[in-house]
Amino acid sequence: MDCHPEVWGRPRYEIYGDYDHSHLHTSGPMQHTQQPIVTGTSVIAVKFKDGVVIAADNLASYGSLARFTDVKRLRKFNSQSVIGFGGDVSDMQYLDRTLGSLDTNENYSNSDQPLHARNLHTYLSKVMYARRSKFDPLWNAILVAGLDGEDMPFLASVDLLGTKFSSPTLATGFGAHLAVPILRRTVPDEEAVQQTTKDQAVELVKESMKVLFYRDARSLDNYSIAVITKESGVELKENEKLENQSWAFADQIRGYGTQVN
Amino acid sequence: MASVFHPGPPSGTPKYSFAQQPNTASEGARQHSFYPYTDNGGSTLGIAGADFTIIAGDTRSTSGYSINTRYCPKVFRIGGPESRIALSVVGFAADGDALKERLDTILKMYKYQHGKTMSVAACAQRLSHILYGKRFFPYYVHAILGGLDEEGKGAVYSYDPVGSYEREQCRAGGAAASLIMPFLDNQVNYKNQCIPGRGTGHELRQRVQEPLPRKDVEQLVEDAFSSAVERHIEVGDGLQMIIITSKGIEEIYKPLKKD
Amino acid sequence: MDTLVAQYSRPAFENEGYAQDDDQQLITQITPPLSLKFALPPVAQSSSWLRAMTDDYSNPNCPIKIAHGTTTLAFRFQGGIIVATDSRATAGNWIASQTVKKVIEINSCLLGTMAGGAADCQYWLAYLGMQCRLHELRHKRRISVAAASKILANLVYSYKGMGLSMGTMCAGVTPQEGPALYYIDSDGTRLSGNLFCVGSGQTFAYGVLDAEYKYDLTEEEALELGRRSILAATHRDAFSGGFINLYHVKEDGWVKHGFNDTNPIFWKTKLEKGEFSNVTSKLV
Repeated sequence: MDCHPEVWGRPRYEIYGDYDHSHLHTSGPMQHTQQPIVTGTSVIAVKFKDGVVIAADNLASYGSLARFTDVKRLRKFNSQSVIGFGGDVSDMQYLDRTLGSLDTNENYSNSDQPLHARNLHTYLSKVMYARRSKFDPLWNAILVAGLDGEDMPFLASVDLLGTKFSSPTLATGFGAHLAVPILRRTVPDEEAVQQTTKDQAVELVKESMKVLFYRDARSLDNYSIAVITKESGVELKENEKLENQSWAFADQIRGYGTQVN
Repeated sequence: MASVFHPGPPSGTPKYSFAQQPNTASEGARQHSFYPYTDNGGSTLGIAGADFTIIAGDTRSTSGYSINTRYCPKVFRIGGPESRIALSVVGFAADGDALKERLDTILKMYKYQHGKTMSVAACAQRLSHILYGKRFFPYYVHAILGGLDEEGKGAVYSYDPVGSYEREQCRAGGAAASLIMPFLDNQVNYKNQCIPGRGTGHELRQRVQEPLPRKDVEQLVEDAFSSAVERHIEVGDGLQMIIITSKGIEEIYKPLKKD
Repeated sequence: MDTLVAQYSRPAFENEGYAQDDDQQLITQITPPLSLKFALPPVAQSSSWLRAMTDDYSNPNCPIKIAHGTTTLAFRFQGGIIVATDSRATAGNWIASQTVKKVIEINSCLLGTMAGGAADCQYWLAYLGMQCRLHELRHKRRISVAAASKILANLVYSYKGMGLSMGTMCAGVTPQEGPALYYIDSDGTRLSGNLFCVGSGQTFAYGVLDAEYKYDLTEEEALELGRRSILAATHRDAFSGGFINLYHVKEDGWVKHGFNDTNPIFWKTKLEKGEFSNVTSKLV
């Protein structure tokens, strides 16, 4: 402990060595398990009056390389909820296995009360927080879509640090910047959720996926979309193609790369 | 003055005053890259009255410049339905949730094992020990605990991230603490307010602090937050207030500006 | 082979989750003792990591700012021991509190002071209080100040290099020792002495205290000297301020002599005694 008045009480250098800034930065030599390798980009979702719509494209990138173009990033859980994964794909597969065995076990023990989306989200957030506390995070941003215990639409997010939150519209990764404003324009709050129909919500999500494909360099025009309602359960379509693309805006773009005006 | 005593923030090799090697730093491979904290913004506030306590917080959750959600409560009732204790946590939300759930469990276990609810004083000390239990890997939170003490008076306890705590009349925490706390000092503790009509200069006398009525405190909380919203980007969307009285706990939600 | 089978026949999710040991303990134990088990960050250099997060001097932008900064003093005189502190706690440049109780009442006869990390001092002095009470129960007499201070010194020494920050004084009067005063800090230093000032304002307090101190002070004089020394430190040290907390330790226990705002005391000292002539009292 330093006894010089103006640094009083702070660690002394001869005992603790120099202050090590590198703990605060993510630069320096990386351990490969400490960063995502094969990654998925945004997942977007929006609640409507009877359920939730969730979508993610089918691309798994390897850095800037579009490496795998047929990776399904929406996973069903006990045919009542859908989980959308952004971030590391291997961690996604690990979580999927984990959830698979959890589901199997749940079916043995208490099948009359299957886990609903809220339970699932709580479970995932505990897993993510426990792993971040071990400094060995699962490098994902996750959206959980489904119905809660009262059969109300449920949509929530959890990320690699274990931070969890819920909102009428959610998006991970790039989508948080690009898609959320579009989604919030139609569905700003819970009140608006009650005014939104399934068709409107699906249309909104498709439109947002298109905007993401226009501007997110790590995205694909092949995507999966799922609608979860009480009536028809999970309707998951895994091979959708973006429709009515218009690249007319492209030649309006100025000021990037070598082109200046 | 600084340079007389200390060479300033150091660079290069460590300086040894005696032949002791630094016994921790720079041995072996350094682990890099994962930073386990984030700041989810927001602000909280607790004020104790004569027979009530108000704990409040905004409901915005942010990461960087993005708003995660407009409704993510930071103030929690803890210890089950009979308990008269509220906890607010601001900082890293995942740590806050973990902390809340831990204390909640402890309060419930106490209830089951002793057949009575825990007093705020005991709960306050327990919270301090939980926080200190992670002294070397801290919870990145600023916690404020509120309740009614043994005499039925309002009690607010505030904490630093590693568990030093103090009972206070009022406390603001989080992103806008530096905006709200001076306002509270002036309006709750009458800091720098003088008794009017007692002359000027050295004749001035500090106005004596007295407990405020509930209506005034509620208004004060609303004003504090609506002002903080004007000047801090991480505060806004909604105001959640938990009011603890001997009759029970009320929860009030009021919208704040959403821009 | 069996372990391999066990590993893969168990569902994967059982390896995940939240049921850490300390949580289990927390549920089963009714009243956990002040624990010596601390969660550590799972990195190779935990103290270096902790410091990166909390050392607000080396890095003013460090994420977690722990409450710091203080002036505390204690001195022995013929009538016992005077203990005086300010009441300010700072986190970086932010004044976290002006009303900190930096004199910690370990029991009715022993006082500890708090400088450095507020949580470290609070926690470990509470722990010391517990140990002192256990000593009383085991040996049917009060613990000596020497022994109490040694418990604390050994304890913090065992955590040396982990990042604790505390500079504390233990003051007490016992029949076998008379008035006894010890200084203990988080390096493991333990010194007995007549007079100590600890904290960022220590030099300013020493300046006043050394000039006026003698062992034969009357009780009145001693209390005034303690108060005046803290006042000097709050005046010149930005990290000290708030209220002056004053205690007198006697053989039959300690007596509190108030928790008083520095501002009126300052003006009283200036206007009535003519000190602090560097400050103008003219109203413009």
